[in-house]
Amino acid sequence: MDVGLTMSNSAPGEESSFELAKKVIQKFVQRQVFSETKIELALVLFGTDSTDNPLSQDGQYQNIRVHRHLRIPDCELLIEIENQVQPESKEGDWLDALVVCMDLLHTETKGKKYDCLNIALLTDLNTQTNEESLEVIINNLTQSGITMQFFLPFPVEEDKEGQGDSERRDPGHPGTGKGLSREQKKNMELVKEMMLSLDVEDGLDEIHTFRNAIEELCMFKRVERRPVAWPCQLTIGSSLSIRIVGYKAVTDEKPKKMWITVDAQSHQKDDVKRETVYCLDDDNETEVQKDDIIQGFRYGSDIVPFSKVDQEQMKYKHDGKCFAVLGFTKQSAIHRHQFMGSQILKIFAARDDEHAGVALSALIRALNELQMVAIVRYAYNRTSNPQVGAAFPCIKQDSECLMYVQLPFMEDLRHFTFPSLENKKFTPSDAQLSAVDSLIDSMMLVEEDENGEQRDLFKPHRIPNPAFQRHFQCLHHRAVSPGTPLPPIEPWLKAALDRPEVITERCQDPLDVLKRKFPLTEVEKKKKLKTSAQIFGKESEESEAKKVKEDEAEEYNLANIAEAPVIVFISLFGCGDPRVLPVCQQLTHRIEQLLSNKNTQYYMKSITCIQAFREQSVKLANAEHYNSYLQSLKGSIPNRGLEVFWELLVQDGLTLISKDEVEGSTVSKAEANQFLVAEEQKEEAAPAPVEDTGDVDDLVSVQCLFLTCLYFYSNTCLCNCCDSNGVKTISCVSTWGVCDVLSSQI
Amino acid sequence: MLARSIDTKSDTEVTTESTRSPSSIGDYKITGRDSLVFLVDASKEMFIKGEDGEPSNFDMTINLVTMMVCVLKIISSDKDLVALVFYGTEESKNPRNSFKHVYVYHDLSEPGAKRVQEVDALRGEKGAKLAAETIGSGETSLGDALWCCANLYSDIKLRLSHKRLMIFTCRDEPHGGDSVKDRQARTKASDLKETGVVIDLMHLMKPGGFDISLFFCDIVSPPEDESELGLQLQPSDKLEDLLKRVRAKELKKRALARLNLCLGEGINVAVGIYATAVAARKPGSIKLYRETNEPVRSKTRTFHTQTGSLLLPSEIKKAQYYGGKEIVMERDEVDAIKKFDDPGLFLIGFKPMEKLKLHHHIRPAVFLYPEEDEVKGSSCLFSALLKKCSERNVFALCRFISRRNYPPRFVALLPQNEELDEGKVQITPPGFNVIYLPFADDFRTLDPPQFPSASQTQVDKMKEIVSKLRFKYRSEGFENPVIQQHFRNLEALALDMMAPEEIEDLIMPKVDQIDQRLGPLVQEFKDLVYPAYYNPESKPAAKRKTADTGGGAEKKPKVELTEDELKAHVQNNTLVKLTVPVLKDACKQFGVRTTGTKKQELIDALIARLRS
Repeated sequence: MDVGLTMSNSAPGEESSFELAKKVIQKFVQRQVFSETKIELALVLFGTDSTDNPLSQDGQYQNIRVHRHLRIPDCELLIEIENQVQPESKEGDWLDALVVCMDLLHTETKGKKYDCLNIALLTDLNTQTNEESLEVIINNLTQSGITMQFFLPFPVEEDKEGQGDSERRDPGHPGTGKGLSREQKKNMELVKEMMLSLDVEDGLDEIHTFRNAIEELCMFKRVERRPVAWPCQLTIGSSLSIRIVGYKAVTDEKPKKMWITVDAQSHQKDDVKRETVYCLDDDNETEVQKDDIIQGFRYGSDIVPFSKVDQEQMKYKHDGKCFAVLGFTKQSAIHRHQFMGSQILKIFAARDDEHAGVALSALIRALNELQMVAIVRYAYNRTSNPQVGAAFPCIKQDSECLMYVQLPFMEDLRHFTFPSLENKKFTPSDAQLSAVDSLIDSMMLVEEDENGEQRDLFKPHRIPNPAFQRHFQCLHHRAVSPGTPLPPIEPWLKAALDRPEVITERCQDPLDVLKRKFPLTEVEKKKKLKTSAQIFGKESEESEAKKVKEDEAEEYNLANIAEAPVIVFISLFGCGDPRVLPVCQQLTHRIEQLLSNKNTQYYMKSITCIQAFREQSVKLANAEHYNSYLQSLKGSIPNRGLEVFWELLVQDGLTLISKDEVEGSTVSKAEANQFLVAEEQKEEAAPAPVEDTGDVDDLVSVQCLFLTCLYFYSNTCLCNCCDSNGVKTISCVSTWGVCDVLSSQI
Repeated sequence: MLARSIDTKSDTEVTTESTRSPSSIGDYKITGRDSLVFLVDASKEMFIKGEDGEPSNFDMTINLVTMMVCVLKIISSDKDLVALVFYGTEESKNPRNSFKHVYVYHDLSEPGAKRVQEVDALRGEKGAKLAAETIGSGETSLGDALWCCANLYSDIKLRLSHKRLMIFTCRDEPHGGDSVKDRQARTKASDLKETGVVIDLMHLMKPGGFDISLFFCDIVSPPEDESELGLQLQPSDKLEDLLKRVRAKELKKRALARLNLCLGEGINVAVGIYATAVAARKPGSIKLYRETNEPVRSKTRTFHTQTGSLLLPSEIKKAQYYGGKEIVMERDEVDAIKKFDDPGLFLIGFKPMEKLKLHHHIRPAVFLYPEEDEVKGSSCLFSALLKKCSERNVFALCRFISRRNYPPRFVALLPQNEELDEGKVQITPPGFNVIYLPFADDFRTLDPPQFPSASQTQVDKMKEIVSKLRFKYRSEGFENPVIQQHFRNLEALALDMMAPEEIEDLIMPKVDQIDQRLGPLVQEFKDLVYPAYYNPESKPAAKRKTADTGGGAEKKPKVELTEDELKAHVQNNTLVKLTVPVLKDACKQFGVRTTGTKKQELIDALIARLRS
């Protein structure tokens, strides 16, 4: 890695090449440490202030430091990288550094067995180089079979124009071509020459940018386990057998290591001991020696003593390893939800046995053509319990196999009966069904693109197990920065577990419709499980958290708060109900409440309410309530310092309802127009200072009050949602749920 | 003796997760015991035998009770309380002897071996005789019988969580039209129901048909689901049917968890998660004191090896060893690492059914059903979702956190429509099956061997074989021989039998039958695929040995590591490169005691030793 002077250059607001390169190395080492691979690793820095390498002599190979010799990477290296690898101020020749690396690989792999040798070079190429040695280096690399990878701050220029490839590389990489210094350009040519002359296919693909590398390295390596072969014979009856070998193909993978218990002070495992003692259930709790204990089992209210020796003698015994066909049945008789166990085995013919291969192929193809499966008895070995399972045929382009999955025993099944959902109370209406239909449409994760090719937007089987990722993230953090709290979950991981963004956008409207069509009300529980926090009071902590969240929360609440009254209002008012007056009063009361918060967001909500009020009044040809409210509102503007709000009202042209619109109105069109204009002239410049009194709790209680009032009018059972339990209950009900209930009731 | 079935009672904590958190919000806590009262009609009508020597209704009922009490209850839920009460008897026997013609054969308590034998004695010809002698047939007052049962319940000091009473009778007018007695029975029944007892009628065959509407419709509890009211179940005349019906009633559905299925902001459908298929295991053993056979209690303590003092939880931390370093965390941090979100299901989207791959399987599925009691409106939305998913042949993909501090998994929700059999008994319930999907880590990279495919002639011959061995698979067709054997053994010991009953191993291939059915086909197929000299039974050709004679056969000379070498390995973190035998030798050499034999455990042990 280049740690020289130019590496710490960066455009304002951007991370320097040094920072990025360091991250690449960190991520890479992390992966090696936590996957416990046997890869050995050395770290050579160049551009260093000091020089420390075996080749330095007579002023040659200067400013190159071998930071670590070839070894399996460990936590120490991680800590060193974190703390000791810092930007330095000299310039180092990257070709010289390469030679040092090659020498190191050569001398330190002597007498070791290895699969491959690789050098990864991280630099900005902004140094002077002695290019004469290039050819020798290339020859040497080829001879010793060392592969090269370059990591640069900028992408390699594509020579071939018109290849879409360059597109995907550029965003975020400054100075493609243009911003490069003369040295960089020259060096780039050298790099290209080197990569193209090495005996690797598409050498330029091994030139990466820092950013891409970080992205690709961000996840910890998946847990890998070498598959263990299980040789056996597939038998059909007494005389037909096929030599097979089985492998675990899919299984619920657990972390390799368990947590060990250590003493809090010494951090030593040996200091802690766990011991189990047995005692009689008497007053003295008389201790009983382990040797004096025998096993027993319950048989109803009786306990039957059953010694281990007897158990061993009487237990079910079998002949060991087997894969015997019991018979064949239709694939459709095997239900997906009755798969048991935690694994899928793949069964192939024994290696290097072509005859077995053909015989098994005949079985696989026969099953496939008949759409059948083999029901088999499977026993791993003599000591394991035998299973019954199904072997499905599986034919892929390059291989054929049987896939074995365990099936249930009679004892495993519970035949629960559930009430039918074909019940009048629960049968969804056509409108409801179509709402679900459009939700499914909008949330289909598999779609066809223009070329008719299927695209799957979300593949869980490509996502690394988040539990492992998080586990290693925390372990790494603790190893490198002990004594600091654990970091939050990494954003990329959170995103990987969430709905794809396209879907989130697309399903918004169908979800809103769904919410309206399906009223959902949480039933209040008499007894709720109390957490210890609730019992012991977490008040202080909570209020702290609340304060922090207030800003987000406020926005969230506001979003819901005004819509509900408007909709409810529309549905109530819209029915020409004799209770219009109280409803209007309710709405105006609500508007007044909103206005008591002098804040633009609240003003906007009020405007929405007034707008709805006006529209509905016009629709129903009832101008009286609206006009009288607006007039009284206008009168109160100066006293309450609501000039800013009035301005908004004027902008939206929300004036009185005139005779032209509604016959019953006592206001002429001119008067209506004048109503707003006059105020405009009167208006004084200074708007009232905007005060933010947005308190979440206040908002909630207002909302509750409002719903309670509605309850009074509509006789619906809304009281449930009015508990002061939290914002969520209320907001979910208030937005859409209510209006459906209400309109149907009225 | 009897067909038996087991369901272990561990529903509440069924997970295959290796680590279990003791408490979680999603859990549904059950307190108290379950109880079941068999109220059996002992009138003369019950003892009438069928025409072709078929067992009498009484005999069938007793058979069923034996099966239920002795086997199901004892094996599956031994803490449940069971009672057997006869009514319409000649003799009377009840706690205060205040009721005539009611005979409490067994009062409410845990069933045991003795009771099994007592009920067993009532079976068959002999049993009928015994019954006639001990209980006899006499007048009937169902009201008194119910009252007596109510007393049984009230005498129980234990907390009961579920109370069920099953009436077995073949008389639809037990009081022969005596309206006073009818009314009394109705009053007592409603009293019972008020105290939370569920009354079921298991009506048996009666010449001329059993008319529930005459009397019993007012006695039994209304079905939990209204639609059921419409379908009048036929009386049972077969033990199998009756057993099925009793089991359907008796099996309590217990939710593993109740949580929300979140479709989007504020759209939460309350659902219950049920385990419909759980690997049954031998129930755990109880430790007994050899001398007295009394159960012992176990106490586990954690203490400091040097000081010997007991360690408080706060004096313990957790650690993992990686890259040459012990990485230490607080115990609550270990939990916190696993927490991603609160328990629940979150909808990601939908996919066509064919996108669910057969081999995407990591653990048994669970079942989803709406919980109207938690969120009103859940059933309607759930039902709409179910209907549409099924119609369009899609599944819902969800993120699933099953309990507090459990990391997420992705699951596929597969729609399952309700199915009924001819008798209107539900075969499959409506709801979603939840299939757990694997993550990238759960796949293993295999290197499949390459072989030429079979020719069509070879395939066709195999097709003939396959067709000869067709059978109709039923999931409940195979019993677990290991568990069956265990219970036979227990039964033999408990009931002092000479030897346990033989079990039939149903998952053993019936080789003779197969051979017979296939006849010459096997040889024909072998001729097509195997050359004459080939014997698949023989051991695989010893390739390796022939390849390098001498070297491979001889055991490699033992590599003894010096302490320095070993320390260097520890230092350089290269212990992993050593083989297990070498590591084991090293352990022995340095006197390191290891509990396990896994490579990692050996390495950890060595590291711990050499660094200290």
